[in-house]
Amino acid sequence: MDIVSILLNLFTPSVFLVVFAGVLVGIVVGAIPGLNGAIGISLLLPLTFTMEPQTGLLLLGGIYMGGMYGGSITAILINVPGDVVAAPVAMEGYPLTQQGRAKEALYYSIFSSMFGGFIGVLVLILFTPPLARFALQFGPAEMFFVSLSGLIIVGALSGSVLKAAFAVLLGLFISTVGVDLITGSERFTFDNIDLRSGISVVPVVLGLFCFAEMFLNIGKKPGEQVQYRDQTISRMTVVKDILKQRFLVWKSGLIGTVVGLLPGVGTTLAVFMSYGDAKRVSRRNIPFEQGNPDGIIAAESANNATVGSSMVPLLALGVPGSPTSAIIAGALVIHGIVLGPSLFVSRPDIAFTFLYGMLLTVVAMTIIGAVGIKYFSYILKIKMEYIVPTVLVFALFGAYSLRNSLFDVFIAILLGIVGAIFKKIHVPLAPIIIGVVLGPLIETNLARAMRIASARNMPLWEYLMATPLSKGLVALVVIMLIVVIRMRHKEKVAAKGVKNA
Amino acid sequence: MKTKLALLLSAPFLLAATSAVQAQDYPTKNIQIIVPYSAGGGGDTVARIVADRLGEELGQQINVVNREGAGGEIGIDEIARSDADGYTLGVFGYPDNFVLEHTRDTSFTFESFDYLAAFDDMPMGVFASPNSQYSTLEALVSYGQERPGELIIGESGALGLLHALAFAERSEMQITPIRYSGGGELMNALLGNHIDLASTSSMSHDPIVGSNGKPIGFAAEERMEMFPDVPTFKEQGLDLVMGVSRVLVAPTGLPDDIREALITALDAISTNEAMMANFENAAIPYRYLDDSAVNEMLEQSNNVLMPVIENNLDQINGN
Repeated sequence: MDIVSILLNLFTPSVFLVVFAGVLVGIVVGAIPGLNGAIGISLLLPLTFTMEPQTGLLLLGGIYMGGMYGGSITAILINVPGDVVAAPVAMEGYPLTQQGRAKEALYYSIFSSMFGGFIGVLVLILFTPPLARFALQFGPAEMFFVSLSGLIIVGALSGSVLKAAFAVLLGLFISTVGVDLITGSERFTFDNIDLRSGISVVPVVLGLFCFAEMFLNIGKKPGEQVQYRDQTISRMTVVKDILKQRFLVWKSGLIGTVVGLLPGVGTTLAVFMSYGDAKRVSRRNIPFEQGNPDGIIAAESANNATVGSSMVPLLALGVPGSPTSAIIAGALVIHGIVLGPSLFVSRPDIAFTFLYGMLLTVVAMTIIGAVGIKYFSYILKIKMEYIVPTVLVFALFGAYSLRNSLFDVFIAILLGIVGAIFKKIHVPLAPIIIGVVLGPLIETNLARAMRIASARNMPLWEYLMATPLSKGLVALVVIMLIVVIRMRHKEKVAAKGVKNA
Repeated sequence: MKTKLALLLSAPFLLAATSAVQAQDYPTKNIQIIVPYSAGGGGDTVARIVADRLGEELGQQINVVNREGAGGEIGIDEIARSDADGYTLGVFGYPDNFVLEHTRDTSFTFESFDYLAAFDDMPMGVFASPNSQYSTLEALVSYGQERPGELIIGESGALGLLHALAFAERSEMQITPIRYSGGGELMNALLGNHIDLASTSSMSHDPIVGSNGKPIGFAAEERMEMFPDVPTFKEQGLDLVMGVSRVLVAPTGLPDDIREALITALDAISTNEAMMANFENAAIPYRYLDDSAVNEMLEQSNNVLMPVIENNLDQINGN
């Protein structure tokens, strides 16, 4: 398959149309709270059955790419992340909006998404076979340590350590509800069929970030709301600034790529990891959670990088790395495409057209995003009394649509009330999400490790430390712990210094 | 006045008459098919292929609604609870409902459903990891019998576990089952040599073999057309036949004429070549059973599964 015929396959009006349509749908479902790329893809999945395989795939790939970016728009403008992965963006982007720099924040988000997207797709094109083999090295022990290192990120977020610890424990607790995957025993289910299937992360995010924010807005007098100004800023200023931070972009993109490779670990971990890391290394004199663009750069380049890399195990081994890529796998199968190593031999036309076409989705995302920003920021001109009910309706719909479940709606509203109270008493919300996402990963992988160790008649620690990779990950966990503790210590000293002065 | 009274009195009869007409016209509105799994999997794929053709045949749009959770229990429960009016149907993989019914405290039973048709017959199989020293059943069994409890078999889902336990029981080995939350995770563990064996359906054959995993055998009556090189357990002397079959069901109590309309439509599409091609493309072995054949098959299969479930109940619930 030479490059010319790939390009000929790609540069057709129908492919362009489909890619742009897919990205646009992705951005819209991504921006709507509760809906995400996975839902957009399952909605449009039947449409692809009648398309050429590569065209259909690029439609889905476009939704995936656009969806990763879309969540940041509402996160920045109204402090409601459209998707879990946009939560860190809200923490930095919304303060910028409050300072009248919404456009600037949006530019940071789209151009970081672009760089991240390119990194992920380029890795997918260039390194798929070796990276797929690398991903296979991650067994229960390795996954356990990776997830554990994710928990340590919580310590790096600002605010009181005690409150953050409480929040992460609450998240871990929420994740235990339901039928335990490994033993099959029921925990906190009270014989209720809905509780048995557990509390999924989407209604939790909707509740804590979306409902809570809207509830807090209810009852405010118009004067109390933020008066938005719209400062103008040129795109090039932002792009140049991002390029100045290219080390951060590369690092975040690579964190997104590597963590995105691992099946089940998911994008959320990658985003919080690179956000926490950005906080450590940022050289700007702006505190985090008060509008530091580095937080946006890190989070957005990481999440768009996972799009490409989560397809590495899918294309190379037939193992989907995320829920979204699992649905894409289903679409491929319907087209009679056998995933795995034979794909590049048996159907190179489809495989390579899709790979290079993913670059096109990044381009489409950048164009739509950069042009659309002017129109997105019109949201700020809408009065809060119109935004609140609109967002609530979408959020209710989003909570319901995930599993077509009223129970999820109930959970979202309940956690909305909890989140509103927590915001008032300054309990950070992000650690709750981290706990919900990582709790099951830590637990099931440790349980698997214990069973395997006992079947192989070796002590648990010996099994956990058996491979060089797991030893390296233990070292990573220890280093992260030390870094976070030192960072905390420095902050304390700095805070004291400010007081004394 | 009199005419009004007459109209009022006759209203119930008129209503009854119109509803009879409606039933004959079935369907007059969109139909939904509930799938108790997430989008993109095998069960979902079958539902979508069938929904497409059946909708064309009936002249109404059929929507597939994914209602996943608790290993299929949530969605299957919802199918059982819906109105038996022909506008809510369900597609799930038998024996998920049967295994759930006998291992958990479910509110549905086998009799909660009217089984209208089955579309595929996908046997379960055992695959060995790329690094394993055995590639035949015989070698595997002699290896496993020497090391009781040391072989680790991964599975994802109730049927996967049941099949793993039955496989161990009939080959007189002690093996350790480990649960994975989905087929992708399971394959990753097998291909990365983190587990020794995987108990999964024949649908995973291509990706596993493509990465040097070894098929030990399928729990099928005879060799599969799609994979003529993979032996059955039976021909290797192990009596184990177990598989998943996607069934189209309605809640029990469909009106006769609606049931008739559905069955006629299903029979009509069962030989549709475009539909069969869709199945083949998706690597799902097509096998159509009409309403009487499917009930016969299910009854036989229940009798085979019941003792396996009973013998392993403690393992299934508290392993």
